[in-house]
Amino acid sequence: MSSRSLTSALVVAIALISGVLASGQTRPSAPAAATAPAAKTTPTAETWTPPKTPWGDPDLQGIYTSDDYMDTPLERPTAFGERLYFTQEELAETAAKLAKQAEADLQGTLQRNPGLAVYVVGEPRVGWRERSRRPARQTSLIVDPPNGKMPPLTPEGRKRQSQIRQTAISPQTPPASWKDFDFYIRCISRGLAGSILPSSYSNGTQIVQAPGFVTILHEKVHEARIIPLDQRPHVGTSIRSYMGDSRGHWDGNTLVVETTNFLDGTTSIGRNGGNAVATSDALRLVERFTRVNPDTMNYELSVDDPRIFTAPWKIAFPITQEPGYELFEYTCHETNYSMTNMLSGARAQEKAEPAKQK
Amino acid sequence: MSVALVPAVLLAFSLATGQTQTPHVPRMPDGKPNFTGVWQAVGTAHWDIQDHSAQAGSFYQLGAIGAIPGGRSIVDGNEIPYQSWAAEKKKENFANRLTLDPEIKCYLPGVPRATYLPFPFQIIQSQTNLAIVYEYRTANRLINVAKHRAPSVDTWMGWSNGHWEGDTLVVEVTGLNGQSWFDRAGNFASENVRIVERYAFADPDHLNYEATIDDKTVFTRPWKISLPLYRRKEMNAQLTEFKCVEFTEEMLYGHLRKQADK
Repeated sequence: MSSRSLTSALVVAIALISGVLASGQTRPSAPAAATAPAAKTTPTAETWTPPKTPWGDPDLQGIYTSDDYMDTPLERPTAFGERLYFTQEELAETAAKLAKQAEADLQGTLQRNPGLAVYVVGEPRVGWRERSRRPARQTSLIVDPPNGKMPPLTPEGRKRQSQIRQTAISPQTPPASWKDFDFYIRCISRGLAGSILPSSYSNGTQIVQAPGFVTILHEKVHEARIIPLDQRPHVGTSIRSYMGDSRGHWDGNTLVVETTNFLDGTTSIGRNGGNAVATSDALRLVERFTRVNPDTMNYELSVDDPRIFTAPWKIAFPITQEPGYELFEYTCHETNYSMTNMLSGARAQEKAEPAKQK
Repeated sequence: MSVALVPAVLLAFSLATGQTQTPHVPRMPDGKPNFTGVWQAVGTAHWDIQDHSAQAGSFYQLGAIGAIPGGRSIVDGNEIPYQSWAAEKKKENFANRLTLDPEIKCYLPGVPRATYLPFPFQIIQSQTNLAIVYEYRTANRLINVAKHRAPSVDTWMGWSNGHWEGDTLVVEVTGLNGQSWFDRAGNFASENVRIVERYAFADPDHLNYEATIDDKTVFTRPWKISLPLYRRKEMNAQLTEFKCVEFTEEMLYGHLRKQADK
């Protein structure tokens, strides 16, 4: 997440903004589309070789974010057919929208902070919510099958789909217990995919390498995956977890991570790991991390769950290193007042309106 | 007991000899000690960092399993120099530990408590920074060595900046939110606490761990804990996920469950 506190952002801003103040502007302005960060060039792995660690592994270390793809749907809208990439015209439209959004963010900030004299150029994000810095090039996160949609569900998958609570929690359908909420709301996990797929906040991923190991720290739910590279076998099949058991190896300059031993029926493959068909204990995920330039990592996630999906499928999108971006401690459970409030609110409602209860 | 005595002797030796190079320890390509590995404290400090006798646990149903084993202090000199109000608060914490102890609620453990919880933790050491991942709640922290970071907000795990003094990794931890405890006995500090940890090899499979605790708003002087950390030597030792949030939900929210759902 970027600097949440405007105060700390301002410290960074002073140097950047001094030119604006010197030019005589009394009001700050949002970055125009022309000054917004340029779109990262099309990654070409052939033209750039990643640095090596002192022990000879490709060096992927850094803090990356999936912010730029936060508005990209998992499944491709049908209108795009098999087209994965936006046209230049479409990208320009998105850039204009982002600039407009940045201006709206700025005005909102100024309304809430009337005395504000400076604003961080190129840092349009306000409060805890993240914003894309540049238009995402893809029409969907799913890149395979070619239509960008999840393959059909198996009978077991359809059964699970029918069991998903169809109504959102609301005053009309109050929660009976915490189990009516998904694992994201309960601050337990967003699952492996949901830990890196972009959402509206906490999209950071930090990679730290040691001889023989890669660690992936996700800002979401402060997940930490330690991936041995020594070809050791997976843990026994009776050991199950939300984040699974990961093993890694290098394929050229690409880190390949294979993860199995997932719990059955907890999180799903999608934003925040909720609101979709939960994967099974047969789930096998294969991730590929390829650093294609100093700031960009191509990320691929192959999903194979034969109990749920009739075919394997694949997600891919780039994650990027951004100036000033860092991970903050994700203390969801410690401050999950909303769980207490939602449950006590539901109970209070039942007490007040006993006639409406079944 | 002989197993436990060996590190203590080595600890005394290394303290006396200061920064001399520890022979035969794993090293990084640049010659620095390589702490990468799965480590764990052995002992009863997670119950009480001070001297304590064996005693019954809070739930008689658990019998011997729930009883608290006795153990020696990891506090140098055993005394924690609380200011008088703080000594009273520690007693209150202990009396109300079933509702106040952050560990019972599966909250993040803070530093140094994470180190001697009865769970392993893994250090991942790169050419610059180190990550420490604790099995308990997947708590983790990055130790910034290459570029120090000032705390921008207080957090449960704090902000860790490290530097090397010979073969010893010295980590300064600030920006802690003061909400975590030191143990299940209610020992505590405030958000003003500054902790300096020292990690050093005693031999290839043992680390000497020290933490100096300085908080002028709670204690009358700085004080120190020290304990050995043991390398988990099992073949393919690794952390196992311990997501304890779901183990606490009945305790935290059970009274808010819909009656018919019980």
